[in-house]
Amino acid sequence: MTDLAVQFTGVTKQYKHFTLQNVNLELATGSIMGFVGANGAGKSTTIRILMGLIHQDSGAVKVLGHDMPADQAAAKRDIGFVSEDMRLYGPATVAWHMEFIRSIYPQWDKLYAEDLLRRFDIKKEQKVKGLSHGQRVKAALLLALARRPRLLVLDEPTTGLDPVARREVLAELTAVLADENRTILFSSHNTLDVEQISDQITFIDRGSIIDSANKEIFLDGWRRLRLMLPPNTPLPQLPGVVEVGGSNRLPVLTISHFDPAMVAACQQAGASVQAVDPMTLEEIFVVNVQNRREKAIA
Amino acid sequence: MNTYIVKRLIFKDWYLYRGMLVGALILGLGTTEAIALAKATWIAVIMGVIVLATIIIGMGAIITSTSVNERKQQTLPFVMSLPISYIEYTTSKIVGSLLMFGALWLALVLGMVATILSTPWFPHGMIPFIVIMSVEMLASTCLIAAVSVTTESQGWMIGITQLGSLALNAVGFSIVRLPGIGGTMKSATVQWSSTSITILLVEFAVIVLIIATAFFVQSRKRDFI
Amino acid sequence: MNSSIVISQSDGRPMYLQIMEQIKQKVAVGEWAPGEEIPSIRMMSVALRVSVITVKRAYLELEREGVIFTQHGKGSIVAKDPGLGPRLYDQEFEEHMEQVVRIGSLLGLSEQQIAFRLTETAIRLNEAQQNDAVSSDEDLAKETL
Repeated sequence: MTDLAVQFTGVTKQYKHFTLQNVNLELATGSIMGFVGANGAGKSTTIRILMGLIHQDSGAVKVLGHDMPADQAAAKRDIGFVSEDMRLYGPATVAWHMEFIRSIYPQWDKLYAEDLLRRFDIKKEQKVKGLSHGQRVKAALLLALARRPRLLVLDEPTTGLDPVARREVLAELTAVLADENRTILFSSHNTLDVEQISDQITFIDRGSIIDSANKEIFLDGWRRLRLMLPPNTPLPQLPGVVEVGGSNRLPVLTISHFDPAMVAACQQAGASVQAVDPMTLEEIFVVNVQNRREKAIA
Repeated sequence: MNTYIVKRLIFKDWYLYRGMLVGALILGLGTTEAIALAKATWIAVIMGVIVLATIIIGMGAIITSTSVNERKQQTLPFVMSLPISYIEYTTSKIVGSLLMFGALWLALVLGMVATILSTPWFPHGMIPFIVIMSVEMLASTCLIAAVSVTTESQGWMIGITQLGSLALNAVGFSIVRLPGIGGTMKSATVQWSSTSITILLVEFAVIVLIIATAFFVQSRKRDFI
Repeated sequence: MNSSIVISQSDGRPMYLQIMEQIKQKVAVGEWAPGEEIPSIRMMSVALRVSVITVKRAYLELEREGVIFTQHGKGSIVAKDPGLGPRLYDQEFEEHMEQVVRIGSLLGLSEQQIAFRLTETAIRLNEAQQNDAVSSDEDLAKETL
């Protein structure tokens, strides 16, 4: 039984114009989960419930063994949190913030903090209000990373960063996992990043989790089948076809749970298989969301 | 209650607002000095007292509305990600801002009382009235602090501040007419009548009520962001 | 040792395949000797900035192919089998041949036609090689004169 860093069971939260419904989530210790969803899908709400900042209407939330939100003070001792809408105190310096955090968390690693300052290229004595957006994000990440927390919860950590800064941040995040007792949950629009460093991917759309799976297995399941149909041949019926595109003679099937036997099935039905293309996470994400939107309208 | 972390949060606010606090102190004490040195005209005294009251009320609003600023400047997620419970956060805000304001308030009230006592032409009978009005300002600032912490809204905070100023005038005018207060104001000695003591006790009771209500309202909240 | 593997994001193939290929090349070329210890899954993951699960998959596949051997709790080493180089090339050969057969069937060629075309191509390339050898000898001869 794997140790779970985060566990959501049947979590629901109702707002006037939005409902988070029946969220079930499991994040194993020592892994990275990438949390993907459109704006307003419920990523931030889920993350805030995780941190105990919002009280769920129903359902159980356990983080690092603590019940949330009741036990949040204890849980937050081992959690590092950075969110896109978070700001530091403008008139104070980076050094002041570092000292402030150090005074609260005994696990603060001074040498690691200095190392991060150097690598993130942030000046300690600079006031936060004088930092660029990217530097501010990196400063907030530094404050979270230097404590070596057991769980890192990051809401859009690379949004708005230039490509170099993004690489630096991703390098730091993967370096965290050298310790198999540490876990990361991060939400991002940057599907390339999610694809590269996540062990597990969770998709959320309009308040519901639509997929949560091992990344390799997940990506293996999605394929685009390019077929060539002889005239007057009907489209082969395959399970799990999410979308049909292309033309009548050259259809393109988007499949969510691909099985190599499907190729033979197509050939037996008279279609010739031109290509079996894997899909990027971005393509999968878009197909998933668009498909659900069309179904909702229908 | 994790008092260590509540202290850290209070010190944080003291650090961030230190400029304002020191500035207000200097301005306030400067005003009391000016009153002491002014010629024995009532106009000078009244002007001085008005300036003092403005400083206290204005600074009071700013110092006690740190919660509104946390939300406005989006630093709330940063603070809430610290290992604290919501009640600990509320405590740090209410206690911290009242301590900050209290220090300023005490300094200025003592300064004003000292000015009255050391100035020969200033009737000492004014002291009970001045003290009552000062405690009234303390009460209305407590209200501003409570509203700031519970609503985190700048609109509400400004509204209550205006209300507080109006209340100050209303209270001032109504109690001056009471014989226990207005009658002894011009005397040369300090006279505490039963009326003035009662009013003071009521004011302190109101302060305790305001703070207790604030804590109660906060403890019922479920969402902190 | 770790950072000498480079993952290309524009490479359309899945990352675990890229990792596998580069490790196999290192072994074939001799950079990683048989029996030599290779970085642990986590260390490789950190060095490549790639998820642990992807590296794990690459290592599992490599073990299945007999390229590496993982001792439980002790990390992974390059397999001690000799002839790993030739075996890898043999694998590539198989993969390419399967490609040829697949494309051939798409073109509608029969098995014999495919075999015939293969032999034809082999003969043609052989002749071309020999001709190159002859003409470069001639060039060489001309130069030395």
